[in-house]
Amino acid sequence: MDIGLLGQYLANGVMLGTMYALVAVGFTLFFGVLDVIKFSHGDVLMLGSFTGFTVYIGVLAMGIENPWLMIAVILIVSITTTAAVGALIARYLVLPLKSAPPLNILLITLMLGTAIREAVRLFYPDGSNPKNFPALLPTASVDLGGFALRADSVILVGAGIAVIIGLNLLINRTRLGLAIRAVAQDEETAKIMGINYTLIVLVTFAIGSGAAAFAGIMNGLYYNEVNFGMGLLLGLIGFSAAIIGGLGNIYGAILGGFLFAGLQTVGAVALPFASAYKDVFAFGVVIALMAWKPTGLIAERSSDRV
Amino acid sequence: MSSIKIENVYTAYDKADVLLDVSLEVVPGKITCLLGSNGAGKSTLIRSILGLTPPRAGRITVDGQDITGAPTHKVIAAGIACIPEGRRMFPKLTVTENLRLGAFQVADEALIRERMEKVFDTFPRLAERRDQLTGTMSGGEQAMVSIGRGLMGGPRILLIDEPSLGLSPLYVKENFRIIDGIRDSGITVFLVEQNVRQTLAIADYGYVLSGGRVVAQGTAEALKDDKEVYAAYFG
Repeated sequence: MDIGLLGQYLANGVMLGTMYALVAVGFTLFFGVLDVIKFSHGDVLMLGSFTGFTVYIGVLAMGIENPWLMIAVILIVSITTTAAVGALIARYLVLPLKSAPPLNILLITLMLGTAIREAVRLFYPDGSNPKNFPALLPTASVDLGGFALRADSVILVGAGIAVIIGLNLLINRTRLGLAIRAVAQDEETAKIMGINYTLIVLVTFAIGSGAAAFAGIMNGLYYNEVNFGMGLLLGLIGFSAAIIGGLGNIYGAILGGFLFAGLQTVGAVALPFASAYKDVFAFGVVIALMAWKPTGLIAERSSDRV
Repeated sequence: MSSIKIENVYTAYDKADVLLDVSLEVVPGKITCLLGSNGAGKSTLIRSILGLTPPRAGRITVDGQDITGAPTHKVIAAGIACIPEGRRMFPKLTVTENLRLGAFQVADEALIRERMEKVFDTFPRLAERRDQLTGTMSGGEQAMVSIGRGLMGGPRILLIDEPSLGLSPLYVKENFRIIDGIRDSGITVFLVEQNVRQTLAIADYGYVLSGGRVVAQGTAEALKDDKEVYAAYFG
């Protein structure tokens, strides 16, 4: 294989890994504070992408044409809207069921995901067809020995990694993060410390959902397409990434995201069968990993939860 | 100085009544103790005050302010702090982080640092281990963190639930000496204990809880000779 193609695959893998990590961090945060798996997460991401797409049409109609300004408005509106949706789901669907069996929350969020997906398909104008997400980032490229590194890829990965680092600092260095970690470790004692438990849960769901919206916009800008079903696979991959990293652990989620993207890349490049089987290969390895380390690569006892 | 007044509190879990009709007053600026055997409802009363298990009837006030059934963070905002039973460390957080959480509602960074230094003065051993995860510490060291954490918020009233539980006699003695000092610094203390002799040695006033009711009360001096106290323990 020539070095140029390899570079292309590598760049693609890093891009996917960043997106997966952003989705996985949400799963891990929700599990941390509430011990729940929220299966609507992927569809909330899709909602973030569609919000971004709608905002794009809106700003275009308003005559704004500066692509940076467009991206800024798209990100701000999409992230805040999606964060609010996440908080609302936590407030009205997840928290009321907190003392119910975990299976109920799993089921209700699974159904909510389907409802969101179908609602977009049916009610968004021509929602059943993919939408062309605009390529707003500069596409100039530098030639690195047979492989073209595009500016938009570099910007997307850089921004994604900056968000991951920012989330990490938020969780580990701020007063809010300390409260989130306290709630994750011991809900009741956290309350005794004077922490407003409900508020922290809602904020955590908002943060996780906002990160998913960011990943959704990244996905749109990278593939120049959004569709109502995009959250299914992204959600499943994000969930798998969080599980193989060790659910409840933020570093594990990031590691899991990049690991999954790495597996897909290996599946596409290095294996003798067609690259269409890359997901089969990646999920197959995930199954094997889970059999080998059921509590994830970074086991909970040796690491901080959230 | 602050006090808590508990009037006709009735608290129950799903189907079990735990507190039937409890009325008592925590004496301002003193150590008021609540004695009773296992299952008498002592910890439930603490949970009721904190809003963790809100009472189904009755009234709880702090200096006249009604906190009955208020969410826990509002109870803490009313000037209450708690050193919970079993110390309840955040095991994967450091000593410093645990202490900071004790001052979660304090906005003034300088004040937080000042109080933390005071905790480290009281417990020099914690100063040496400020970056250690509390889950890896001994029970005695965790008790120090727990007491320090209870003081970080600068409470007017401190609820202490079974401080002697699971500690060696040496640490128990040390902890009671510290609780004595907390009272002398002007903080109202409500001390829940099983350990009658040592508790009455430092308490000013006491109540005895049995079967979800207050069965005896009086000054610590009087309770030392009260046979109701011993009846509450041994039937």
